[in-house]
Amino acid sequence: MTKTVLDLVVNGESRSFAVEGHRSLLDALREEAGLTGTKKGCDVGDCGACTVILDGKPINACMILAVEAQGAQITTIEGLQASPDDLHPLQQAFMEHGASQCGFCTPGILIMAKHLLESNPLPTDEEIRFGLSGNICRCTGYTKIFDAIRTAGKRMAETGMALPATKVEA
Amino acid sequence: MTKQDFRIVGKSVKRDDVIEKVTGEGKYTGDYHMPGMLFGKIKRSEIAHAKIKSIDVSKALAYPGVKAVLTHHDVPRVLHYGSPHPRSASCTKDQYILDDRVRFWGEGVAAVAATSEEIADEALDLIEVEYEPLPGVYDIDTAQLPDAPLIHDVGPGGNLVIPPVHVERGDVDKGFAEADLILEGEFAGGRPTPTYMEPNVCVADWDGSNKLTFWTSTQTSFMVRGALAEVLGLPLNKVRVLVDHMGGGFGAKQDLFQHEFLCALLAKKCRRPVKMEFTRRETFVAGRSRHPFKLWLKQGFRKDGTLVAREMKVVFESGAYGSHSPGVTNVGTASATSLYRCDNVRLNGRAVYTNTPIAGAYRGYGVVQTYYALDIQMDEAAEKLGIDPAEMRLRNAVREGDIAPSGHPIIGHGLESCISHGVEAFNWAAKKGAPDRLVAGRPSARKGYGIGCEMHGSSAYPGIKEQGNATVKMNEDGSITLLTGAAGLGTGAHTALAQIVAEELGVTFSSVSVVHGDTDVVPWDIGAFASHTTYMVGTAAKMAAAELRARVLVRAAEKLQEKAENLEMVDGIITVTGKPGTSLTILEAMGPSRGIPAEHLIATGSYMPTKSYSFGAHFVEVEVDTETGIIECKKVMPVHDVGKIIHPIAAQGQVEGGVQQGIGHTLTENYVIDTSNGRSLNAGLVDYKMPLSMDMPDIETVLLEAAPDPGGPWGAKGIGEDPIIAIGPAIANAVYDAIGVRFHHYPITPEDVLNGLRAKQKDGANAGL
Repeated sequence: MTKTVLDLVVNGESRSFAVEGHRSLLDALREEAGLTGTKKGCDVGDCGACTVILDGKPINACMILAVEAQGAQITTIEGLQASPDDLHPLQQAFMEHGASQCGFCTPGILIMAKHLLESNPLPTDEEIRFGLSGNICRCTGYTKIFDAIRTAGKRMAETGMALPATKVEA
Repeated sequence: MTKQDFRIVGKSVKRDDVIEKVTGEGKYTGDYHMPGMLFGKIKRSEIAHAKIKSIDVSKALAYPGVKAVLTHHDVPRVLHYGSPHPRSASCTKDQYILDDRVRFWGEGVAAVAATSEEIADEALDLIEVEYEPLPGVYDIDTAQLPDAPLIHDVGPGGNLVIPPVHVERGDVDKGFAEADLILEGEFAGGRPTPTYMEPNVCVADWDGSNKLTFWTSTQTSFMVRGALAEVLGLPLNKVRVLVDHMGGGFGAKQDLFQHEFLCALLAKKCRRPVKMEFTRRETFVAGRSRHPFKLWLKQGFRKDGTLVAREMKVVFESGAYGSHSPGVTNVGTASATSLYRCDNVRLNGRAVYTNTPIAGAYRGYGVVQTYYALDIQMDEAAEKLGIDPAEMRLRNAVREGDIAPSGHPIIGHGLESCISHGVEAFNWAAKKGAPDRLVAGRPSARKGYGIGCEMHGSSAYPGIKEQGNATVKMNEDGSITLLTGAAGLGTGAHTALAQIVAEELGVTFSSVSVVHGDTDVVPWDIGAFASHTTYMVGTAAKMAAAELRARVLVRAAEKLQEKAENLEMVDGIITVTGKPGTSLTILEAMGPSRGIPAEHLIATGSYMPTKSYSFGAHFVEVEVDTETGIIECKKVMPVHDVGKIIHPIAAQGQVEGGVQQGIGHTLTENYVIDTSNGRSLNAGLVDYKMPLSMDMPDIETVLLEAAPDPGGPWGAKGIGEDPIIAIGPAIANAVYDAIGVRFHHYPITPEDVLNGLRAKQKDGANAGL
C-alpha cells in the first residue's frame, strides 16, 4: 500500500514517518512514533482517551487521518513535562489528589486540562466539568479529577505557566 | 485492635504506579508492539442461535496479508468453563473455543491473523458462513417456559445453568403468621456493563521451546494461565501470563475470553506474535455485563418495624454461557439472608441461559440486584408503618453476632455505625422533615431524599477457598522487594500492600518496591476480585514482613548483644528500648561483607481468609423534573465502614467511582438486546449512556473504622465493591420521596417517570414495575 511521508513536530521534536493513507493520527503516534501514552479507548471519537493538542487545539487523534496532520505541531502526554524530573503541575496535582486510578483516561484528561488551564487557569466548577465533557473516566467519579485541576490551575496561575503565548480559542 | 501509632498505614502516600500513569510511560497490554507481530480479528455471528452448516475460509486465506484462519475445525475441541473461576466448578462446562453452533449474536465463529488490523478486518468479510437458524430465547420468562428452546445440551435441565440455589432458615410460615404487615413486590433490573476504558487486549508469543508468553489485560492472570494450559494441553510452567498496567476491569476481566484462546492458537500456527484487541463495540458484544434479573420479594413486619419473615425468588439471566452465574446466583441469593436481620428466610435463586451476550462478574456480584429489592421494600414498609426510613433500618440492621450470608457471625456494629453517622452528617431528619419538596427557581422540579444500605464480603469465602500470598525479600542494600500476584487494576492495591509491608517491617515506604504481573515470578494469586486484595493479600504481606522483621532483629540482637525482644525498628533504624544512642541500620545488621549479605532474607506469607463484611449506608438527594422526567442525582453521602483505612485517598476513590457506576446503572445505563432477535441495540459509548463530568453529583465520602476485622491487616476490610450497591436503592427511594412514584426496576428512565406520574394522577396508583 502506498505510503506518504508525514512530517510533524511532536513535543517540540521534528519527526518523519511513512504512513499509509488510511491510518489515523492516533495509530501513527502510537505505532510509528512509539508514543503509546496516548490511548485508544474507542477509536470512534467517543471517549477522549486519545486527546492530543494539534496546532493549539485539543482533538481526538483517532478522528483525523495522519496525513491530514501534515506539518502540524502536536503535544502528547509525553510532552507535558519540561524534563523527566520536572512534572507538570497537572501531573503533580493528579498524583496528590488521587485523580488517576486505572490511568487509561489520564493522558487524554491531562492534555485536555492543560488546554483548559492555559487559557483559563482559574476555571469555575462548571467550566471544568464542561471542559472535560468529552473525556470518559470510569474509575474516579471525577471528584478528584476536578480537585486536581483546581489545584494545578492555582499553581499555574502563580507561576505564570498559564499565560498562553497566543490566545487560544475556548 | 491494639492502639498503635501508624507511620505509613492510614496516610495517602504517593502511589508509585501513578507516576507512570500521569507521564504516559505505563505500559498497558495494547502498548506492546513486537517485530513481525500479526493482528488477530474475530468473525462474529450475525445470528443469535444457529447451527453452522458450513464455513468457507478459502477467500480469506487467499487474501494478501492473511497468515492464518481458524474455525471450529482447527481448534482443540475442549469443553471448558466460560470462566476459569473456581466457583465455576459448580457449573457444567459449557463452552468450546469455537463450536459448530452459535448461541448469541456476536459470538466468534472464526479468527484471522494478518499483517495489519485492516487486512484482518477485511478478511473477515471474505469468510462465508452458512447458518441453520434455531429458535432463540431472548428473555428470562421465555427461558423458563416448559417448551422453551434449549440452548445447551449440558446442565441440570431446561435452560438452568446450575441447580436452583435454595436457602432456608427458621420458620418462614410462622414468621408471616406473626406479621402485622406483609409486603409483596416484583423487581427487575437491566443489563449494565462495566465499560472499563481499556478494551480487552492480548498478545501471544511462542518461543522455540513451545512456551507461550501471553500478555493480557486480566484481573486473574493465574486463572488465565490455568485455563490456557488446560485447553492447550501444556504444563503450567510452559505458559507465562503477564500484565502490567490495566485500564480497569471492575470484575468482568476475570473471565477467560474466547479471543484469548484464539490469539494463542493463531500465534502458535503462525509462529509469530499476534495481538488481538477488542473494538469498543466488541467490549459490549463479547464482553461481560451484570446479570439482568427478575425478583419476587415478600416480607413480614411487626408494627414496631421488626422484620419477621422474608421470602425471595430471584432469576438471573446468564446469557449464552454460564461464566460467573454459579457465583452470582449463590452470592446474590445468600446475601438476602442478611443486611436486615431476619430469623425466618426462604430464598430461591436461579440462573438461566438465554441467547444473549454473556453476563459475568461485575462489582457487586449478584448483591446489587437483591439488595435493590430489599432496600426499596424496607422503605415501603417504613412508610406503611409510619417509621422514619433511617430509623427503620437501624431497627433491623444486622448486628454483632448475627449470622452473615457466609454462615459466619458478623463482627462489630458496622452497619448501625454507618447509618447513625450518616443521619447526623447528612442532616437527614431536617431534610426529610422539610414541609415541601419544591426546588427554588425550578417550578417543575421536586427534591427527594433517600437512603440505601449494603454489606459485602471482603473475600469470596466460603464459595471459594481463597489464598493470598506475598513474598517479601530484603536486598543486599536493605531495600525491600515485594512480590505479589495481585493484579493492579487501578485501585491502588499495590501501594496499600507496600504500605502494609513498610509499616510492619519497620522500614520507610520509599524503600519498598513492588513486583507484580508475571506468573513466572510472583507467588500464586487467585486474582483481584471480591474486594479482597487489601484484606487477604494485605494480611499475607503483613505476615511475610513480620517474619523478615523478626529475622533482622535476631541478627541485630547478636551484633548489639541485646535480646531481640528489646529491639525496635523504625524507618530501617534499629534501636534498643530504653537505651537511646545505641542504634544500627538494617545494613549494619544485615549488610553485605564483600558483597555477600549476612543472610538472604526472603519470606512468603500465605493466608487463607474466612469472611469479613464491610458495611455502608448511602444518603442521596435527587431532583426530579416532572415535565421532562429527568432525575438528577444532586448530592451523595456514602458512609462506609472499612475496619481500618490503609490509604485514605485510594479508599475514597473506590467509593466515588462506585457511586458513579451505581448512578449510571440506576438512571441511564442499560445495554439493550432486541428481544425479538438477540441483537445488540446500543453497543457503543454514545448510546450506552454513563454519568460523565457534567452529570456527577457532589460526593462527600465518609470512611469509618467502626468494625475492624481480625482477619485483615490491622482490621482492614474490602471497599472495592461496596460503594456500587447501596446507591441504587437510595436513588429509587429518593425519587419516591420527591414525586411519590415507586419504581421497582432499574434503570429508571425519564419515560418511566412521566408514565409513573401520569398513572399516579390518573388513579393514584404507583406505577412500579
